Amino acid sequence: MLLQAEPALLPSRIVMAFTLAAHILLVPLGVALPTLTLIMEAIGIFRKDATALKIARRWSVVMAVQFAVGAVTGTILSFEFGILWPRMMGRFGAAFGLGFSIEGLAFFMEAVFISIYLYGWKRLPPRLHLLTGLTLPPAGLLGAFGVLAANSWMNTPGGVTIEPGGALDVNVWSALFTKALTYEFWHFTIAIYMTAGFMVASIYAVAWLRGRRDHYQRLAFAIPFSVGAALSPLEFLVGDLAARALTSDQPTKFAAMEITWRTQAYNPEVIGGLIDQSGNVRFGISVPWLDSLLAGFSPTTVIRGLSSFAADTRPNTVESNLTHLAFDVMIGLGSAAVLLTVWYFVVLIRRRRLPESVWFYRLAALAGVGAYISVESGWVTTEVGRQPWIVYGAMRVSDAVTTAPAAFVWTMLVVLVVIYALIAFFFLTLLLRLAARWKREDLAGTTAESPERGVPYGPRQ
Amino acid sequence: MNAPLAYLVAGVLLLAVAAYSTAGGVDFGAGIWDLLAGHRDGQARRARELIDHAMAPVWEVNNVWLVLSIVVCWTAFPPLFESVFVSLYPLFALALVGLVLRGAFFAFRHIADDPRQHRIADMVFGVSSVLTPFFFAATLGAIASGRVGTYVPEPVWQVSFSPMSMAFGLVSVAATALSGAVFLVGDARRQESPELVEYFRTRALLAAGILVVAGTAALITIWFERPQLLVAMFTTPALAFVLAVMALTPAAAFLLWRRIFRWYRILTVAAIGSLVVAWGFAQSPYLLPGLLTIEQAASPESTLILVTVVAACVVLIICPSIALLVYLDQRSVLESPEG
Repeated sequence: MLLQAEPALLPSRIVMAFTLAAHILLVPLGVALPTLTLIMEAIGIFRKDATALKIARRWSVVMAVQFAVGAVTGTILSFEFGILWPRMMGRFGAAFGLGFSIEGLAFFMEAVFISIYLYGWKRLPPRLHLLTGLTLPPAGLLGAFGVLAANSWMNTPGGVTIEPGGALDVNVWSALFTKALTYEFWHFTIAIYMTAGFMVASIYAVAWLRGRRDHYQRLAFAIPFSVGAALSPLEFLVGDLAARALTSDQPTKFAAMEITWRTQAYNPEVIGGLIDQSGNVRFGISVPWLDSLLAGFSPTTVIRGLSSFAADTRPNTVESNLTHLAFDVMIGLGSAAVLLTVWYFVVLIRRRRLPESVWFYRLAALAGVGAYISVESGWVTTEVGRQPWIVYGAMRVSDAVTTAPAAFVWTMLVVLVVIYALIAFFFLTLLLRLAARWKREDLAGTTAESPERGVPYGPRQ
Repeated sequence: MNAPLAYLVAGVLLLAVAAYSTAGGVDFGAGIWDLLAGHRDGQARRARELIDHAMAPVWEVNNVWLVLSIVVCWTAFPPLFESVFVSLYPLFALALVGLVLRGAFFAFRHIADDPRQHRIADMVFGVSSVLTPFFFAATLGAIASGRVGTYVPEPVWQVSFSPMSMAFGLVSVAATALSGAVFLVGDARRQESPELVEYFRTRALLAAGILVVAGTAALITIWFERPQLLVAMFTTPALAFVLAVMALTPAAAFLLWRRIFRWYRILTVAAIGSLVVAWGFAQSPYLLPGLLTIEQAASPESTLILVTVVAACVVLIICPSIALLVYLDQRSVLESPEG
């Protein structure tokens, strides 16, 4: 019925999901790679380590290319808010837009600061260059803050009062710092640093498996992996806080994450499994009492079930299952990361050296991709779990969608898929070529060439 | 409601659009000349290399102005944003496709191996450099025509592709071609290539001529479609900017014609910026002519204050940073073990 009323709803949701899912892949390295690069550069400067400087400079090239791609996909997103969800923007732009205004400023800062940092390699003395680089992490964090403030506002809208005439009044502070921001900000920020660490390290784990075991490889592996590993237990705790906050902030989302149908105490935790329309859970492993225990530290904790909400105010069956499975994938991969972390630190502390087990490096090589899958899963959990609301409790997705004909939005989807495939292909080709050339240079022992050569974007040499 | 604040933020929005038109215009213009250079001879190849060299440090950074405009629009004037996108989504979608293809294929021509791929990349890059500014400016023309509004019964395609949209689009293509050529003259001079200086100087003069013709045609179109706007352009403060465009464009062309290579770039930028600002003043106090004023569309005061603070930060943080960047760009490379 909804689909008939709003013909563009389904394609609009797919377009938005596709482009967001693509953009979020660029976020971890976009925000966190500058920090890893600066750590490496600091090691290079203060320990007089030329190898560390070489690594830092190469990473900065990847950072720049990544930023260019992210700028494109981010610009697309800003237009999609207008093309696909004009009614939401018209109604709530004054509150929802606040975070994005800050993100706009941050985007600006990042663009200029990255240019300065890249130009500076050859034009500034080392310490001053490091200093200019220190502007990058705060700019990235400010951007993350802006986007997460906007997303948190969609999940737990606040700071808005509707006046008698229907006009909005906005309290900027409460609209920016909504309830969900506290956990969303820390959960996502830690996630992207962790992901960037594991991703970068995984490349050098592959190098180790292929037989490269020199100072370059050890350094480029150990620094990012240590960052990822140090954060993974913390992320586990913050994620736990976030999930428990949902029991009161967004009970429909929590019920979907746990595919809980009936409101009850002694609620089991279902691992895997699917729920059907009448609330039967099939497949999966059910651990008695565990959900109640985790949510309220007591088996008597009552968990609200999906059936306690009107059907048009909670995720439908498909959405609930998607939310639940994505949540489980995230938890599973997060737990795996913690185990790998324990392995790493036990060897590091007891033997005072990096692990030497092939299996450790095989897992470390997978940790990068695993972290990306976790980020995507977490995003699915929070976005699909919010359905059918675009602004939780205040506006439905179907009330926000464009009045454009469905055929237009489907066409847009096809065009965007083709373009994104092209961008991904160009981006990966470029990175692989850079990697191949750097490797050749290392083998030949020449460092005369600038690592930036052959990159379409970057400073003039 | 705070009227002065609403006008201030509307001014910020207008300046952001003007900044994108000028800074982005240089970039799009370079793409247009890349398309028109062809592949015939060595000169075309050298021109193309200069264009590549000139664009390399820019890397999609001009998108920041675009994103800033969009964000300020939806935060500070949500009803404007909603109406504009409901009425003009075809134009925005086309502009967006152009924008993305342009960026992607600019990158691709640096990794394309065989000449055939290279030509495809050049072609897509060039064509999208023409279409993107055309469709973006067409949205402004559609707004100025007074046809945009959520409750206007006219079909979307008629609103989007009205004579005034097309006229604005053509003016913007001519304007970007002009600023592109003008800045390439500067780049050619920096590379000390008299051949390319002449090459782009001729093209800049040609583009200035086309801009005058397109501008006149646009004025005639406005006269037929929305005479009130034309009257406003010559009676309100907009007049100052209209006169600025009419004086600065020939002035820049004159300098280039006489080969006086000073001030020509700044005059061109000022002319194109004035063009956008003139449009804004002519419409004031309306965001959507006859339908929605700045005060009616403005968000609550607290939201406007935050947007103003953000705009102030852009000025305070970004301007010194850009100055540093220009300084670094012109500073010679330091000796270092990295080479």
